[in-house]
Amino acid sequence: MQRSDGFLINLVAFGRVLQKAGIQTSLGRMIDAARALEFVNIWSRPDFHIALRSNLVSRKEDIPLFDRVFDSFWLEGHLPELSPRFPQGFEQPGIGFSVDSSSITLTSDDTPRPDSLGSFAYSPVEVLNKKDFSQMKFEDSAAIRRAILLLARKIATRVGRRRKPDGKTEEIDLRRTMRRSLKYGGDILEFQSRKRKLKKTRIILLCDVSGSMECYSRFLIQFMFGLQNELWGVDTFVFSTSLTRITSLIRSKAITAALEKVSQQALDWSGGTNIGRSLQVFNRDFAPALVDHRTIVILISDGWECGDLNLLDQEMKRLKSRCSKMLWLNPLLGDKNYEPLCKGMQTVLPYLDYFLPAHNVESLINMARTLEQVAT
Amino acid sequence: MKGQFKLTIEEIQHALEQRRYICDRSLATIVYLSMVMGKPVLLEGEAGVGKTEVAKVLADVLNTTLIRLQCYEGLDSNTALYEWNYPKQILRIKQYEVQRGSGEMVVPEIFTEEYLIRRPLLEAIQRDGELPPVLLIDEIDRADVEFEAFLLEVLSDFQITIPELGTIRAQKPPYVVLTSNRTREIHDALKRRCLYHWIDYPSFEKEYAIVTAKVPEIQGFLVKQICSLVQRLRLMDFYKRPGVAETLDWASALVAMNRHELSKEAIDDTLGCIFKYREDIERFHTEIASKTLDLDPILSPDATF
Repeated sequence: MQRSDGFLINLVAFGRVLQKAGIQTSLGRMIDAARALEFVNIWSRPDFHIALRSNLVSRKEDIPLFDRVFDSFWLEGHLPELSPRFPQGFEQPGIGFSVDSSSITLTSDDTPRPDSLGSFAYSPVEVLNKKDFSQMKFEDSAAIRRAILLLARKIATRVGRRRKPDGKTEEIDLRRTMRRSLKYGGDILEFQSRKRKLKKTRIILLCDVSGSMECYSRFLIQFMFGLQNELWGVDTFVFSTSLTRITSLIRSKAITAALEKVSQQALDWSGGTNIGRSLQVFNRDFAPALVDHRTIVILISDGWECGDLNLLDQEMKRLKSRCSKMLWLNPLLGDKNYEPLCKGMQTVLPYLDYFLPAHNVESLINMARTLEQVAT
Repeated sequence: MKGQFKLTIEEIQHALEQRRYICDRSLATIVYLSMVMGKPVLLEGEAGVGKTEVAKVLADVLNTTLIRLQCYEGLDSNTALYEWNYPKQILRIKQYEVQRGSGEMVVPEIFTEEYLIRRPLLEAIQRDGELPPVLLIDEIDRADVEFEAFLLEVLSDFQITIPELGTIRAQKPPYVVLTSNRTREIHDALKRRCLYHWIDYPSFEKEYAIVTAKVPEIQGFLVKQICSLVQRLRLMDFYKRPGVAETLDWASALVAMNRHELSKEAIDDTLGCIFKYREDIERFHTEIASKTLDLDPILSPDATF
């Protein structure tokens, strides 16, 4: 069936509007959508709708948004081919394509939410406050370290289901043994063995060191230090209004020396919090090299966000799609009366695999148990 | 392009319904598109909403074979694609040795199709019937990422290379249905190759139609009671909310017990059909006790729905 150029232009324009609304479209998807339309009766609105949607959307969460954009773009009662809505921008290349966003009605879910300012006193202004951590005493550090060690082992040494050849273990690899024996005319002269592959897990630790987390700073430091030095493949970052990588700073056996190094760096300890922007920087500068489908991302924060919640949502989505598991440790969760109601926490909750308390040694041990049960 | 495909969207929907699979037009449209475009369908949805059933019924409609690959973590190409039948090969060598006193000339002959064990993917590609088979790749989210990448390769050109035999190409690419329970996100590259559809819990009317179609001996009033209670339960916060499969189980159980209407005792006796976790059963009881879930409007003999 021949289609007029006007129709294809409209289709491409629709793709752009989707993109603007936050649904990723690609050229391949657009081509497939156009192909699909050759097979359905485009004058039937439901068929037209589902032909486009099945090709352009592949996440359940995107479906409502797609439907709304669809409804406002392909006007009810107007036939798709007869409603060239954006012809000018395409006829004159070079002129930026703009969408009349007022024609797209978005519900409250999508409209930018006002920044949340909780009743807690914290300064949104970045306070560059050098703290002398080396003066701290770590009397219960042994207990915390043991708990962290337990936790670290649980996270890192998950046995994979895939097997690899191995010369030493007892388990016989029947397939390879048989294959090998063919060269001796079927006599089994040597056994081939195999073992389960250990999954190597990379861990990214993102620690909130803003003002609202100040009272937990001693614990945070021990946690970062412990994880970094007990495990292979850990990268540690701290953030408040900006993000700093401190992996090399704390890679040391002596905690006091490490703390000195950290505090010498002009870090914005105890300033305001901008989780969204920090994650954006992480996603842009570090994630491509550090995060893959085996990586576990651990965020430690109370979720008091003073930045843009939409940005936070977008960056959490990005990070989640890239990594294997996302854990959020919230020291406030230890309080029985605490509910994750603040807007920042509300925004990130849907992306988390585990949302766990971390305020004392016991909670760490419990966390290790949780991970043991789930990671099978 | 497979333009010769004869069924229309209406015919597909009708044929599915004839086989007691009640679906809305959007699903029928996607099945139709998948066939004419040669693009796999990716069905996502909660457990028990009938994702797997689509492939089974489809194979029946087309009067072709259903080849099923159940995914699990660690599934590899030896289990999904092909494997050499080593015991048979060894026996063959032994046989030659006995007959000729030497095993030399044998090696080239044991890597033939006779010694090949076909696993689902190879079988789907090699099958040369009148119509291509329906290939069901079930619960792809359970397989690991390595397998997903491997699957991507197979699904993109429907050919498989076996070093000892050469490349095997599908004469007619199979109709592919993938299902996922969303325990993890499927990689974008694989999703891009598929037509996506989310199967939601059915509406009251649709569920009523499903139960009546699947359990024909049941009485209308009981179906309405069951469906409205299940619909109500799905709005609540259970660990595993009942799917359509649970509704059907429950309906069959009640029929088997010769019940014609719901009562508190009947519900208690059959609670195991609806809930699969102890916590959920306990929760159900507490909700009843605290009156947050009120069964009376549903249980009353002159209830209207």
